[in-house]
Amino acid sequence: MTSQYDATAAMEIVNADAPGAACVEDGVLFLEPSELAGAVRTLRDSEESDLVFLSNLTAVDRELHFELVYHLQSLDLNHILQVKARVTDREDPALPSLTGVYHGAHLQEREVYDLFGIRFEGHPDLRRMFLWDGFPGYPLRKDFLQMPGQVRAGLPGFPHESVENAWPVPGSVPQRPMHPNDPQPEGELVVAEEGEETS
Amino acid sequence: MTTADDTRLAMQGTIEALTTGDGSEPVVVNLGPQHPSTHGVFRLKVTLDGEIVQDAEMRIGYLHRSMEKLAEERTYTQNIPFTDRIDYLAAMSNNLAYCLAAEELLGIQVPPRANAIRVMFAELQRVASHAMANGTFINDCGAWHTPLFHMFRDRERVLDMFEMTCGARLTTNYMRIGGVAFDLPDELLPTLEQFLADMPENIANYEALLLENEILHARARGIGVISPEMAINSSLSGPVLRATGVPWDLRKANPYCGYEDYEFDVPVGEQGDCFDRFLVRMAEVKESLRILRQVVDNLPDGPWLADVPLHARPEPGESYARVESPRGELGFYLVSDGGPAPYRFHCRPPSLINLSALKEMSIGGTLADAIVTLGSIDIVVGEIDR
Repeated sequence: MTSQYDATAAMEIVNADAPGAACVEDGVLFLEPSELAGAVRTLRDSEESDLVFLSNLTAVDRELHFELVYHLQSLDLNHILQVKARVTDREDPALPSLTGVYHGAHLQEREVYDLFGIRFEGHPDLRRMFLWDGFPGYPLRKDFLQMPGQVRAGLPGFPHESVENAWPVPGSVPQRPMHPNDPQPEGELVVAEEGEETS
Repeated sequence: MTTADDTRLAMQGTIEALTTGDGSEPVVVNLGPQHPSTHGVFRLKVTLDGEIVQDAEMRIGYLHRSMEKLAEERTYTQNIPFTDRIDYLAAMSNNLAYCLAAEELLGIQVPPRANAIRVMFAELQRVASHAMANGTFINDCGAWHTPLFHMFRDRERVLDMFEMTCGARLTTNYMRIGGVAFDLPDELLPTLEQFLADMPENIANYEALLLENEILHARARGIGVISPEMAINSSLSGPVLRATGVPWDLRKANPYCGYEDYEFDVPVGEQGDCFDRFLVRMAEVKESLRILRQVVDNLPDGPWLADVPLHARPEPGESYARVESPRGELGFYLVSDGGPAPYRFHCRPPSLINLSALKEMSIGGTLADAIVTLGSIDIVVGEIDR
């Protein structure tokens, strides 16, 4: 069974090499973005942690900041460690690339760049991957296609779960075309009378 | 293998004779996006010096459907059919990985019968997917469809079993959060017994046909070689990693759905070339049949779906669940903010990440070798682009 590698032990390994580069919050290891590549290299090369395999690399838009999530795996010791880093600049988010540490980070960092617009400094070939050059915006950001009425992207409630949560959110403009099952907007239904011209 | 080596040397000699001309310029050749060798809408741009690949660059995104964004607007249950469409040749494995991630988030225990059925269908899917992978790989090596259609007969029987269980052959949508959608129909177990009885002979036939085949050896031995260190550093997984000799299989390393109760081996290769990847897949089919035999013999009774509320709202948190899909390590990373839909839905696609080392594998070989290498990685473009 793959065990979770202790975040505190990982923090000690990193901080022994670069003091202050790592901290633990709620059992999750957070790395300082400026020290990211060096800290992950230390975790890879240390015999205790031996995190040689980059299992997963992705990002989460937390609205106030971006959270980069790395899952690092040791094949010999069979443990996994989740590492996170925060990027607070939403205008031009950037952090160091891990391509020098893991060759497998190449395509995953390009994917994050493509869909979140986070630059990875030192990536040798940082181009959009799925979308074309000049595509407006970064789709996986929560503010992509800002809707009128300040409706947040996402699902506010189960359809017809309750009146408060039913779609559309009261007082807002629906952010998708009306579906026949959606609650009808308030107001009189206007029916064209027979013989009247409809424009 | 002397004859195969001789053939190989003769081919090398011809290639060298063709490429030693002076004053030649590199030629850029586009493979795809619609090309039989690229297994879908995948474009490979190769720079050639004569016949030798100098650079290989892939262009993807032709099948991008923005599933990760769409999933943020749908409930956890509504997202299950999306996972079929991610890797349409291994829909069961994708259903399973997503449901495991959602169950981890919701804290749901799965009944034993559901676990056994999940293992059964994940392994049947592996047999079907490897039949497709090996068949098309041999096609890329130059066998004109005969082995492919031999193997398709087996895949067809697996898809028939899917159809009688859940009504769909390709996009199955069979797994549910907390179990599986339907119990096994009465006619499934006899069909599966017959399938398990017939398969050893079929596999013996394929081995007799292919393993000593001189052309296959000449085309695949020593092609697309990658070292174990490079494979691990490139995050490769599945048969591509195991062909280099690294016995990394999540069914053994991190058992899920009760895989620890079944006896099976993890086949590994030695040289990390295209032929070893083919051999690993052939051996994995045999191991899958071994697991299927044990599942059928020890199928528990009981419910096949846990009691899960239809409107499940997980606590804020995150989960990362991985399974060994036919293509490698398939993971789903879900983040919940307490709402009815995932706040973030991320798929770790083995097809995409296994392409990390495609350039390194292809450079220095011929263009025809690059196509064999691409075929041996066994990509599914739906999973690359999502």
